[in-house]
Amino acid sequence: MSLLTLQGIGKSYRQGEVDVQALTGINLVLEEGEFAALVGPSGSGKTTLLNIIGGLDAPSSGHVHLNSTDFTELSETALSDFRLFQLGFIFQAYNLVPVLSALENVELIMVLQGRPLHERRERAEHYLTLVGLKELMNRRPSALSGGQQQRVAVARALAAGPRLVLADEPTANLDSENAAALLDIMHRLSHEEKTTFIFSTHDPRVMDRAERIITLHDGSIIGDKRHQSHELQG
Amino acid sequence: MIRQHSHMPFSMLVKLAWRNLWRHRRRTIITLSSIAIGFGLAVVSIGIGDGSHNSMIRNAIKLGEGHLAIQVPGYLEAPANYKYLADGRSLQTKLEALHIDGTVEARISLQVLSSSANNSVGAGLEGLNTVSDPRVAMLRPKMIAGHWLESGDHRGVLIGDGMARKLKLKVGGKMVLMAGTQGGDSQAQLGRVRGIFDSHVDELDDFLVLSDIDFARRFLTGEGADAQQLPVTRFSIFLNDPDSMAHWKGVIQSAMAGEGVAVLDWHEMMPQLVQFIVIDDAGNYVFLTLILIMVVFGILNTVLMSVLERTREFGLLRALGLSRYHLLLLVLCESVLLSVLAVVIGWLVGGGAHWWISTHGIDFSAMMGGEMSIAGTFMDPVIYTELSQGRVIQLTVIVFAVTLASGIYPALKAARVAPVAALRT
Repeated sequence: MSLLTLQGIGKSYRQGEVDVQALTGINLVLEEGEFAALVGPSGSGKTTLLNIIGGLDAPSSGHVHLNSTDFTELSETALSDFRLFQLGFIFQAYNLVPVLSALENVELIMVLQGRPLHERRERAEHYLTLVGLKELMNRRPSALSGGQQQRVAVARALAAGPRLVLADEPTANLDSENAAALLDIMHRLSHEEKTTFIFSTHDPRVMDRAERIITLHDGSIIGDKRHQSHELQG
Repeated sequence: MIRQHSHMPFSMLVKLAWRNLWRHRRRTIITLSSIAIGFGLAVVSIGIGDGSHNSMIRNAIKLGEGHLAIQVPGYLEAPANYKYLADGRSLQTKLEALHIDGTVEARISLQVLSSSANNSVGAGLEGLNTVSDPRVAMLRPKMIAGHWLESGDHRGVLIGDGMARKLKLKVGGKMVLMAGTQGGDSQAQLGRVRGIFDSHVDELDDFLVLSDIDFARRFLTGEGADAQQLPVTRFSIFLNDPDSMAHWKGVIQSAMAGEGVAVLDWHEMMPQLVQFIVIDDAGNYVFLTLILIMVVFGILNTVLMSVLERTREFGLLRALGLSRYHLLLLVLCESVLLSVLAVVIGWLVGGGAHWWISTHGIDFSAMMGGEMSIAGTFMDPVIYTELSQGRVIQLTVIVFAVTLASGIYPALKAARVAPVAALRT
């Protein structure tokens, strides 16, 4: 069953005196529970496409449907609420609010969603346990390693119960061991929770784990392959 | 059931704002200290201003015509000896029936020519109750020669040292007080100097002649008044609670309707003093404005710096689903907390200083050389700060509003953060 549908997405912007065409005629359908990677060289449009899918940037042309909602038509406030309830984000760096503990960071989106305290506390502790950080949940981000911070971001993204999680180069700043551990966690949770993941990456470790690889070049999709991901570690 | 609109509980807003405030502990402490010290200075400055003004007003009221005065209409604009209240007895009875919370003093003020064997000067003769009138308490300690008037002394007068010098009079000396009548004749009374005072107010020391009210009343009978009706120039009313002045003015005006009298308060009786206070207050407000400008820049600097440093974080929060409105509230909440802290600490600093000065006072006598004569009254050399409840509320509200207002621009700036642009930085 299709979750996300992109129809004729184009994105252009002006850089100085020059018009830059970042994306051209992107058509894409993503199924529920997919673990997909957007790959391509720097400047190919991965992050721009991810931002458009995440409702962080508006396309110059085309439509983005998540289930039946075309969120290119939504007002800014409605789009903000849409992101809050439907989408999860994991960024390359600076994912967490520095003044909140790991637990509070994971609870934050659920607070904004209006979930009751007992429910959000239970879910936050559950996901922090799944990412292996229950013991460190009262620490602030400054007292966690980069890998641990990314795991908190994963827990936060999933605890809020999104339909789609967007991850922009989530392993870019991690060493091999931490990157592998993080990918394992996300891969496992995507299967357990039936949550759709889409990454922008040029990290081969992520590509190895992805079940679908969508290749971008100069703002266009030039490849879209499905394959079995490698075995999980441990 | 999950609601489909973002929701920011107040507790989370305050928690985030509070923690954000202490991210840069040193910067926040420096900002708070500067605002608190500035606010404290403003409290002390306004307190000293109000204290000195109130001291002048109290002195002026005691030396002058009280909180309220009842006299012939038009007397203030053009004083004349024939403008008196002929039936003082019945007016006094009516006033007593009102049970005014204060004292009512009958007075007779006359313009006379006072002469000695050596010289003549224009003078103001003030006939009063030499025992109970508040002027007694003010001027009796200022006697530098002789003694105060004894009750029933119908010939004795007191003069200031300025007049004594001009007339070359000493205690025991004789002076003739002469006044014209409305009919064009003149009348005179002989007085004997019982004592000389030095009030440090030139207008009093050079011009005032004090006597028992019955001595001054002889001039009114010369104008045709019936002494049996106890004619007076005015009744001066000294209220126990100065804040009740407007109330009692209204009560007396109602009771005296149809009597052909004017009821005036001290603002109307002493416009020059009111003007002086207004001008002096303006100076205090300039100082307060400078303090507020300092407060504005202190808050603006702290909150704006904190906003500019957190552009990426705001982008993240916006990406996660925090609305512009909630982001605006968050930054405004930081300003509010900073304001509350600044006002509380400011009151601790300023209130502490105010308490000390209001208890011990600051002695300005070295600077002023004793009492300072201003606008027909004098300022005590030891000044005590005074802050009314209204002033406390006014200062708090002004500083709080200003600090809050200075947080608006940073809050708007934060709310304008576009998530994708912020995350790219």
